[in-house]
Amino acid sequence: MDGFIKLSNFPRILPYAELFKQGIIVTILLSLLTVVIGFLLGNVLAMMRLSDFRPLRFLSIGRDGKLRKGGLLLTISKFNPISFLATVYVEIIRSTPVIVQIFIIYYGVFGSLIDLPGIKLLGFIRFDRFFPGVVALGMNSAAYLCEIIRSGIQSIDGGQSEAARSLGLSSGQTLMYIVLPQAIRNILPAIANEFVVIIKESAITYTIGVQDIMSAVNASKGALFIIMEPLLVATVLYFCLCFPTSKIIAYFERRMSRGNKR
Amino acid sequence: METRDNLSSTGSDVIISVKNLKKYYNKGEIKALDDVSLDIRKGEVLVVIGPSGSGKSTLLRSLNLTEVPTDGSIFFDGVDITAKKIRNEKGRMVKLNLDLHRQRMGMVFQHFNLFPHKTIIENMTLAPVKVKHVPKAEAEKKAMDLLQRVGLKDRAKAYPIQLSGGQKQRVAIVRALCMNPEVMLFDEPTSALDPEMVGEVLAVMKNLAKEGMTMVVVTHEMGFAKEVADRVIFMAEGAIVEQGTPDEIFSNPKDERTQGFLKSVLNV
Ligand SMILES: Nc1ncnc2c1ncn2[C@@H]1O[C@H](COP(=O)(O)OP(=O)(O)O)[C@@H](O)[C@H]1O
Ligand SMILES: [Mg+2]
Repeated sequence: MDGFIKLSNFPRILPYAELFKQGIIVTILLSLLTVVIGFLLGNVLAMMRLSDFRPLRFLSIGRDGKLRKGGLLLTISKFNPISFLATVYVEIIRSTPVIVQIFIIYYGVFGSLIDLPGIKLLGFIRFDRFFPGVVALGMNSAAYLCEIIRSGIQSIDGGQSEAARSLGLSSGQTLMYIVLPQAIRNILPAIANEFVVIIKESAITYTIGVQDIMSAVNASKGALFIIMEPLLVATVLYFCLCFPTSKIIAYFERRMSRGNKR
Repeated sequence: METRDNLSSTGSDVIISVKNLKKYYNKGEIKALDDVSLDIRKGEVLVVIGPSGSGKSTLLRSLNLTEVPTDGSIFFDGVDITAKKIRNEKGRMVKLNLDLHRQRMGMVFQHFNLFPHKTIIENMTLAPVKVKHVPKAEAEKKAMDLLQRVGLKDRAKAYPIQLSGGQKQRVAIVRALCMNPEVMLFDEPTSALDPEMVGEVLAVMKNLAKEGMTMVVVTHEMGFAKEVADRVIFMAEGAIVEQGTPDEIFSNPKDERTQGFLKSVLNV
């Protein structure tokens, strides 16, 4: 067997530097878009889970126009299909491997149901690989962000809503102007951490041909028949992306918690 | 608009009429309110006293329907606000707009509940602008006038975190006043304050009472009750045990529980 890692092998990777550079760009773009989609969809899911949509609510009101005190009809009247759907979605995503989800989106949804144009973004990013990757990771991360957003909303002191409602604000206005702004400020560090998680998790998308850092490893491995050296390069690259980002987040987190205690 | 055909039987100067109000928790294990009936007249200052857990907060929260009662009715200006639906002028059952009713009652909380991400002036103008669609400039002018009256005009651009407890509570009071409420509800407004700040908040409340505001005040400040209250209610275990003028309650309490409670608060 050859040596574990040979220094002389590193110059051989040099011709593939361009691939690694493109890989970095794809990894960053992929992760950014994933967080954006995840955050938007996560907000929708959180709203769905916290919604007060009860189409059978009328069953809770008796003939006298007042609330029933109990019984099966009262239980049925509390059923919220929107919240139920969102809960099912979140639990399924969180209980299945991300690679299964990615394959279902790539081979299932975009492989047979929807045709993607064979265009290239920035001259090298294959859209028909990149886009399914973004959708799959975004859908995955939305489930986790939904729970972060939901706990952020629930961590806001009930007195805030009570005060807003006592001033005549509707429940929607209370959420919009009072609860959400405070909740999102509180969960910004958690959202940023999710970004770091996504950078690492996005490595798996090379399996559907997304040209990220891992795919550059794969390409140089196939051409040069070496694996440890390209992996070492990838390790350094991922570390350089993730470590400073988490340190910066931690810094802002400390500053913010100090601001809160002022 | 809602008609007044759910009119209560009481006289026309009654603004809030509570009838057999009950609030149970844990399927009736906890009776926070147990058959409370009460009329509040326009311009009256009603002080509610009683030991902790006697249902005072639950009563206030029921009045502006932050808490949905288990049973009983609350008539506000003749309209039953506990009915989910009421009959409109065409005789059709329509949903009661609770937000509309909450606008007419201001509420002041023990822990102020100012919005920490908004400045003082934003705290005050949010509801008038968003709910009543008052033009922003007009809402700000009214807010500044009110701030001036409580001596906090120079703090308009500050954030709640920069104010003392007493200042926060004065802002909370004028924030509620910005909506021109017909009734003000106070839930232990001075209990979370350092002793030296109690006076400044009570002074604002006294002024409000002098101006004829209808007020329901839960408080342990017996001095305030004696001086300002038209009527004092003593509650225990979710029920009204005794009520009367401050003089009747403080000098000549009839019920044992009232006597015991007064002894404990006046001797601390
Ligand atoms: N959300 C709730 N769930 C269960 N019990 C409650 C709840 N809110 C209040 N209670 C109970 O109702 C009773 C009355 O409470 P409260 O109105 O807050 O009393 P007070 O304001 O006089 O101290 C207490 O026994 C309290 O524990
Ligand atoms: Mg209380």
